[in-house]
Amino acid sequence: MRSADEAHGEGIVVRGLTKVFYTTVRRPGFAGAVRSLIAPQRAAKTVVRDVSFDVARGELLALLGPNGAGKSTTIKMLTGILTPTRGAVMVAGMNPHLDRKRNARNIGAVFGQRTQLWWDLPAKESFTILRSIYGVPAERHRARLAELDRLLELSEFWQTRVRHLSLGQRVRCDLAAALLHDPAIVFLDEPTIGMDVVVKEQVRGLLRHEVEQRGRAVLLTTHDMTEVERLAERVVLINHGRIVLDGTLEEVRREFGGTWRIRATIADSALSASSPSSQAVRARDLPSGLELLSQDRTELVFAPAAATGYTPAITVPEALRAVVDRYPIVGISIEETDLEDAMRAAYLRQGVATAEPEPETGPGQDAGQVVS
Amino acid sequence: MIEPNPRQPLALRAAWITPLGELLAPPRIAATAIRMVIQIFLVVYLWHGLYSHTSTNSGLDRGQAVTFAVLAVLITRIRGLDRFAGRDTVFQHLAYGTIVYWFLRPLAPRRYYVLRALGDQAYGFAWVVVGYAACLASGVIEPPASGTAAAACAASLLLGQAVLYELTLLTDLMCFWTMHNDSAVQMIQFAQNLLSGAYAPLWYFPAWFITMSSFLPFQSTLNTPLSLYIGRIPVRQAPGDLLFQTAWVVALALISRLLWGRASRRVAVQGG
Repeated sequence: MRSADEAHGEGIVVRGLTKVFYTTVRRPGFAGAVRSLIAPQRAAKTVVRDVSFDVARGELLALLGPNGAGKSTTIKMLTGILTPTRGAVMVAGMNPHLDRKRNARNIGAVFGQRTQLWWDLPAKESFTILRSIYGVPAERHRARLAELDRLLELSEFWQTRVRHLSLGQRVRCDLAAALLHDPAIVFLDEPTIGMDVVVKEQVRGLLRHEVEQRGRAVLLTTHDMTEVERLAERVVLINHGRIVLDGTLEEVRREFGGTWRIRATIADSALSASSPSSQAVRARDLPSGLELLSQDRTELVFAPAAATGYTPAITVPEALRAVVDRYPIVGISIEETDLEDAMRAAYLRQGVATAEPEPETGPGQDAGQVVS
Repeated sequence: MIEPNPRQPLALRAAWITPLGELLAPPRIAATAIRMVIQIFLVVYLWHGLYSHTSTNSGLDRGQAVTFAVLAVLITRIRGLDRFAGRDTVFQHLAYGTIVYWFLRPLAPRRYYVLRALGDQAYGFAWVVVGYAACLASGVIEPPASGTAAAACAASLLLGQAVLYELTLLTDLMCFWTMHNDSAVQMIQFAQNLLSGAYAPLWYFPAWFITMSSFLPFQSTLNTPLSLYIGRIPVRQAPGDLLFQTAWVVALALISRLLWGRASRRVAVQGG
């Protein structure tokens, strides 16, 4: 991994980023409430823990993780909204929270369904206000707006007041608003949440264009794995505030889902009291190197057991042979694992592995912050 | 990176946001006009009724009382814009999480807030001018006691609006800690209306009440400028009153400046 100095002025460089929130713990009951008032008890919660990664110009990185993993908090530190407790952040060569105003010229951001447009004004009027705020020359603004209109078909509705726009129209306008001033770095926190497939595809087209043609560094958080597959070259998987994996989608599949699964249907007659599948397939009955993902009466789904490194513990022919030998099979098929399954497995496995008891007590800094 | 273009009329553009929203919603303009006419009608008949058996009360004659009350109705329009419908109050921005965008632009939130407030107040002032001209022309209100009184009233009104701006800002900044400011806004609005003379000129209240309110900033916003206008406060007292108003503006501005710094370090957004 490069040092912060080496990557200076390029994209995003994050080293050892940590965020601890301190909150007041409310004691139960009336007496507890009074005690809390007189002697408040503070609790520390580490929401982001020693996170390091880079995003180069012309690269789209997907920051993935379950709800509450620390993704949004990480983005807020990268945009300068929150101050890190520890660690270093450089965004286009600037420390975002120390130089918030200058940093603002380099970044664009969309936070889910939260709009930065003015509710009572036509969307185009919002673009004009943002042009003034960012000091974009009129000619450049016109050209940029025309380009975004071509990609997002904004002119069909940009004279409509924002309060009357559909969700898809509004998010497209918000994306345009975030990109109008030509930022080098773009943060997108679940930008396509709640949008239909047509609009999602339009937004993906825009993002591909901005990354490949404009060379922007894009950091995207999403729960939509189709989006990740279509857009991201690299993903950072985060859970309980820690980085679990920083690699390609192929690495995610190999590490957490296996690259395949076997769906086997056993004979009804096998469901007798003496059969191992009478209630549920027990761990000790499983063929070596396989784990049982699910069982729905006679249908069993197997995947290669978790192994260290990226190589599965068992090959497909070995697994097929083992399953056929062990159970009275009436039907069998092999499936490629999709990314969503791999992510689910990753969240579950890492959730168990990294969960740690909180809280620890600490100073009163940032008390009352709402944790994302 | 785009360097700022100083030729862009940023101040004007930001100040114009709320007025433009109003102008694009004709029903709101009609509602404001109707409300103002009805309020003035009621106030005029109320004060004429109250003065039907007396010519002078608490140092005010009927003409002065009616003029004070009508101008109070008009001037409360200066900050009468309701940004709630436009999801544009600080409380709403914090609740919806859109406050983050204030801190992601190359325009300090404090400056943005000032520009927006100036626009709102300028728009409200346009209503006052129209209402004042109509009321003066129709003889509903009296002209200022003198030219000097008019000048003193204008200066006092300007300072009063600055006080009102700072008070509103403080209640908005409170949201960064409490997430809600409904109760604070209601209390401030009630105190403002009562202690500024919006409900009734302070001259009708007991002496202790007048003394108490003289230590608070609220009377700066209405009672002082309007009393100068109708001549209830002699012009020779104006410098002292203007100095008092200035002191409140400075004190409140220092507090709000301190709070802005702290608020920007704790931008919390509900729901992540």
